[in-house]
Amino acid sequence: MAAAVKTPISGAAASLFLILLFSVLSSAQSYFRGETTRRNLSVELNPGWPSPSSRPPNGELLHVRAVGDNDTLHFLFCSQGAPTLLLVHTNTSSSSLKVNWKEFVSRNVSGSLKVEPESSVLYSSATVFSRLLEYDDVNNTAEPTSDLFPPYELGSFLWSRLVLSGPSARLCGVAPDNATFANGSLCLQLSVFGEGGRAESWPRLLHTANSSQVEVWLDGVLPRATQSRFLLELQAVGGAYRPSRVEVQRSIDDEFTPSIFKVSRWLSSENGSSEILGFLQWKPVASRGRDSSVENATPCHHSAPRPQSSEDTARASGLVRAFYAEPQTVGLNVSFGLAGDPFYNSTRFLRWTVLIGSGSPPVESFSPLVLAIMAVGLGTPMILLVLGGVYVCIRKRVAVTAAAYQPIN
Amino acid sequence: MADYEERQSLLGDGDEGSSTGRHTAGGAGRPMLAICDPSHILHRVIVLIFMCFLGFGSYFCYDNPAALQTQVIQDLSLNTKEFMQLYAWYSWPNVVLCFFGGFLLDRVFGIRLGTIIFSLFVCVGQVIFATGALVNHFWLMEVGRFVFGIGGESLAVAQNTYAVNWFKGKELNLVFGLQLSMARLVMTQNMEIIHYNLNLPFPYFLFCLLHMYLFTYVFDFFFLSLAAVTCLFSLICALKILHKEQGKTGEVIKLTDVKDFPFPLWLIFIICVAYYVAVFPFIGLGQVFFIEKFNFSPAEARAVNSIVYIISAPASPLLGFVVDRTGRNVVWVMIAVVATLAAHMMLAFTFWNPWIAMSLLGVSYSLLACALWPMVAFVVPEHQLGTAYGFMQSIQNLGLALVAMAAGAILDTRGYLFLEMFFCICLCFALMAVVMLYFVNYLRGGELNLSAAARAKLQKEATSDAE
Repeated sequence: MAAAVKTPISGAAASLFLILLFSVLSSAQSYFRGETTRRNLSVELNPGWPSPSSRPPNGELLHVRAVGDNDTLHFLFCSQGAPTLLLVHTNTSSSSLKVNWKEFVSRNVSGSLKVEPESSVLYSSATVFSRLLEYDDVNNTAEPTSDLFPPYELGSFLWSRLVLSGPSARLCGVAPDNATFANGSLCLQLSVFGEGGRAESWPRLLHTANSSQVEVWLDGVLPRATQSRFLLELQAVGGAYRPSRVEVQRSIDDEFTPSIFKVSRWLSSENGSSEILGFLQWKPVASRGRDSSVENATPCHHSAPRPQSSEDTARASGLVRAFYAEPQTVGLNVSFGLAGDPFYNSTRFLRWTVLIGSGSPPVESFSPLVLAIMAVGLGTPMILLVLGGVYVCIRKRVAVTAAAYQPIN
Repeated sequence: MADYEERQSLLGDGDEGSSTGRHTAGGAGRPMLAICDPSHILHRVIVLIFMCFLGFGSYFCYDNPAALQTQVIQDLSLNTKEFMQLYAWYSWPNVVLCFFGGFLLDRVFGIRLGTIIFSLFVCVGQVIFATGALVNHFWLMEVGRFVFGIGGESLAVAQNTYAVNWFKGKELNLVFGLQLSMARLVMTQNMEIIHYNLNLPFPYFLFCLLHMYLFTYVFDFFFLSLAAVTCLFSLICALKILHKEQGKTGEVIKLTDVKDFPFPLWLIFIICVAYYVAVFPFIGLGQVFFIEKFNFSPAEARAVNSIVYIISAPASPLLGFVVDRTGRNVVWVMIAVVATLAAHMMLAFTFWNPWIAMSLLGVSYSLLACALWPMVAFVVPEHQLGTAYGFMQSIQNLGLALVAMAAGAILDTRGYLFLEMFFCICLCFALMAVVMLYFVNYLRGGELNLSAAARAKLQKEATSDAE
C-alpha cells in the first residue's frame, strides 16, 4: 500500500520542483542582461590649450572620447566654476571637440565649446554639482526644510588640479575664506568606462559602456552644528530634452549594498515617447566612513526635480555657458541621512556615488553565483527524488516479475 | 515483558494515578478542599497555569534582541554578525546542557530545587543582560545571554517534567500543546510590549527585568508557597506523590547509546537541524528585512515577524491532531519542508506580500514540530529515548549557535538576498534528508510512514504478542 502511494507523491513533488525552478529561472532571466558594446577611450586634458606646461586659469577641462562602432560619446568634465559633467552623444565615430579657449575662460559667451560636426549630435546633457547645503537637524527628523545654513556655492570653490589615472580623474576643492574647510575638502572622482561591468568600490554600481560614474565625498569639513546634516544639489541641463522624472525601482538583489533594495533613476526622455535618452542612476545610500562597511551606510533620499534658473546655472558653470545657448535646467536635492541616523559630526565623512550616462540605464541582474547556487540547491533534491522514484519503480518491477513464479505446490 | 511494564508505567492511566492519589489521601485520613486535592482536576488546572507561567519569563526574554535589533545595533555600534552573537551565546551552553539537564533534575537537584536554580539562572542572566545594555558594554550582554541560556532550556525540561508528572495519560498531548502555544504567544507579545515601553522614560531593558522577575521568579515561589500554604493539610500527600513519581524525566541518559542510533535517526537529526536553522535566525533578523525590502513600518514589520508564532499557537494542537489521525509522518515532514522552502523563495525572489509567506512559514513550522519529534520515538527503543532527544536538542542548539553567527556575517557582507538563499540551501539539505528518509524507510520496511490505522494495528499486535 505504501508503494502505491509513493509514486504519485514523488511525481507530484518532482513536478512542484520543476515549476519552482522554472519560475525562478524565468524571473532571473528577465534580470540577466549583458552589455556587449565596447568603446575605445582616449583621454585629453585641456585639449587645444596653447601651452601644455601651464594650465587654464580657474579650472581645467577633461575630455574623454569613448568611440564605439558607429557612434561617439564625449565626456567633458570641467572645474571652471561648479564641477560639471557634459555628455554629448554623436552618431559618427569621427566627431571631435573644438574649444575657443579665450572665450571659454572668459565665461560670458556661449558657443566657445563645440562638438563637430554639430549635425551629428544626437543627445547632450550636463550635470552640474551646484551646491552643498547644510542644516541643523535639532529634532532628529531629517527634514531639510528649516534651519538651513548659508549654502556652499560650488561655483565659487577653489579647485585643485585634475589628478588623472587612466580614464578617471579626481578633483578636490575648498570653499574660499571659510574656516569650516580649513582641514577638509569636497572631492569628486570621475570614472569613464569602456565596457559594461561592475565598479570595484562600494556601492559597486553596475555600469554600461555608455556611462560614467561620479563619486562625491566630503572629508574633514567642520559641521556648523553638532546635529547638522548635508544635502547636495544637482542640476541637470539639457538643450531640447532635460531629465524630467525620477523613478525609484525596486530590485530584489541587495548583494552589493546589503539591505538596500532600491535604485533611483533620473531619466530624460522625449516628450510623448518612452524611449530613454539619458539618465542619472544611483542607489539611495551613502557611506559615512572610508571603509564603506554596513555600519557606515546611511540612506539618502531625493527631492522632486524642479525647474531652476538657467541663467544662474550658466553663471555658475563655465561648461554650461560655453556649450549651451539656451539651457533648460532642472534641479533636485539629495539629502543624506534619515531620522535617527548618526549625524555628519560622528565621522565627518560622507560619500555618495552616481552613475551618469546616455541611453537606457543598466538594470541590476543576478550574479552568476546566485543562479548557480539556486540551480544546484534546488536541483539536487529533485534529482534525488527522481532517481529514488526510478529505483523503487525498478525494484517493484523486479518484485512483480519474481512473484510471477508461483510455488508449485 | 519488561518493555510492556515500562510502557505501562510511563503512559499510565489517568484513572490509575488519581485512584492512587485518592487512596493515599484517604489513607492519610484528612479531609481536603477539592482545590488542594492533587488528584482533582481543578488543582491540576491551577498547576497547569503555574507551569505555563514558569516558562513565561524565559520565553519572553528569548527574543528580546530581535525586538530591539535596530536600537541595540545603533546604540552599541554593532554590525549584524556581532548582534547575532546574542543568540549564539544563548545556544552554546545548551549544546552540552541538553544532555545533562534531565540528569541534573533527576539525580542531583531534584525537580523542585532544580526548577528554582534554573529560574534563578534565567533571572540573573537577564539582569546581567540588562546591566550590560545600561552601561553600554556588549561583552556583559553576551555574558548575560550565556547565563540566561543555561537556565532557559533546562527550565523547559523542568516544565516538561512537571507536565509528565501531573498529566500522564491522555491529557499529556494537550498540555504539551498548550505549553507550546503559551510559549509562542508570549514570544509575540515580547515584540509588541518592548516597543510600547520605549516611549516611557525608563531604560527599556528594565522592563524585561520587571517582566522576568514578576512571572518567573515570583510564580516559582508562589507555586511552591501555594503548595505549602493552602495545601497544608495535604502537604504530606503532595510530598508523597511527588516522591512516588520520583520526579523523573522518564529518561536515562547514556552517551554510549549514540553509537547504536539507526540511520533513519541520523536523518531525522539532520532534518531537525537544517530546518530550525532556517527559521529561528530568520525571525531574529526578519524585522529589518521587512522594513527595508517591503517598505513596512516598524510596527508592521514586527507584526509580520511574529505572525509565525501567532499562527503556530492555535495551529500546533490542530495539526498535531491531524497528524495523529492520519499518520504518515514522513510525508507531512516533506510537505512542511517544501512549504517552508516555498515561503523563503517567495521572500527572496519576489515582492509578493510577505504576510502570505510568513503565514505559510507559521503553518509549516507547526506542522513539522508535530510530525518530526514523535518520529524519534518510532525509531528508537524506550531506554534510548532520553539520549536521542537530548542529542537532538544538543545538535539543534549547536546548529543554531553556529548559523546565528553565520547569518549575521552573511548579512553584513552580502545582504539579504544571499541570506535568504543560504536559508533555502539549508532547507534543501533538509529536503534531501527527508527524501532519503522516505526511501530508506520504504526500502527497509520501517514504520515511520505508516498511516494511523496501520500503526494502531501494529501496536495491538505487539501488545497481544506481549501478552
